[in-house]
Amino acid sequence: MKENNQLPADPQFSALLREARVSPGLPPRFQQNVWRRIEDAEATTKPVSWLDVLASLVLRPRFAVAAATLMLLGGVVAGTLEGRQMAQHDAQMNYLASVAPESVR
Amino acid sequence: MNRSLIIVMGALALCGAIFAGSYFTARHATMVCCTRSADDLSWLQTEFHLTDPEMARIRDLHQGYLPKCGAMCAKIAAKKGELDALLGNSTNITDEAQAKMNELAALRAQCQAQMLQHFLAVSQAMPPEEGKRYLDEMRQFTLGGPGQMEQSMSGDTDHEHHH
Repeated sequence: MKENNQLPADPQFSALLREARVSPGLPPRFQQNVWRRIEDAEATTKPVSWLDVLASLVLRPRFAVAAATLMLLGGVVAGTLEGRQMAQHDAQMNYLASVAPESVR
Repeated sequence: MNRSLIIVMGALALCGAIFAGSYFTARHATMVCCTRSADDLSWLQTEFHLTDPEMARIRDLHQGYLPKCGAMCAKIAAKKGELDALLGNSTNITDEAQAKMNELAALRAQCQAQMLQHFLAVSQAMPPEEGKRYLDEMRQFTLGGPGQMEQSMSGDTDHEHHH
């Protein structure tokens, strides 16, 4: 710069130097911070309902698989117990039909 | 409609379908599995925890009882046929129809006595506790509770008697 100052004044060059602005570099994690601030702003304006939370939970593959497995196992257990009870009842009715005719009950 | 609501409703419907499908399949499979190769007496063995010798004794009693029961049933059916024929076109109960009703009632009582006798014999072939439980259950099924019908008709109980 000292050398520049020592050069004979060039009005055009001086004008260009004055107009030139050094753009500073972006701060670290600039883009992430911008998105975070956008999300925060949206969150304050539109509160998330419990239904949205539930829907987002349901759409998670891990949760969906766990729920389906639970339903399947629950159905199998309940069906087996009910089936066993019904079979036992049928067997009881068969025995009664063989020893105690309807006409005398 | 709200997207989240549709997702939640769809998930619930899917869960219900999975549960119902597995429930009915398991129930049907269990029933088919349990009733296959089961004879009339299989219920006794599982319900009253009977050993094989006890079952063999009961099986003998059962086989001996069946022809008597069949013969009694045939008599009752014949008497009922006679009564139906008498009541068929008549507008009042004749003395003859009354006599047939008495005979039918007597046959039914005889059949019930024979049946109870069989239940007593079977209960004695079981361990005492199980035998008592068996006898109570058979009485309940064949004769109803003690004085159940009479109680319900007499108005002694607090039930509403509709006419």
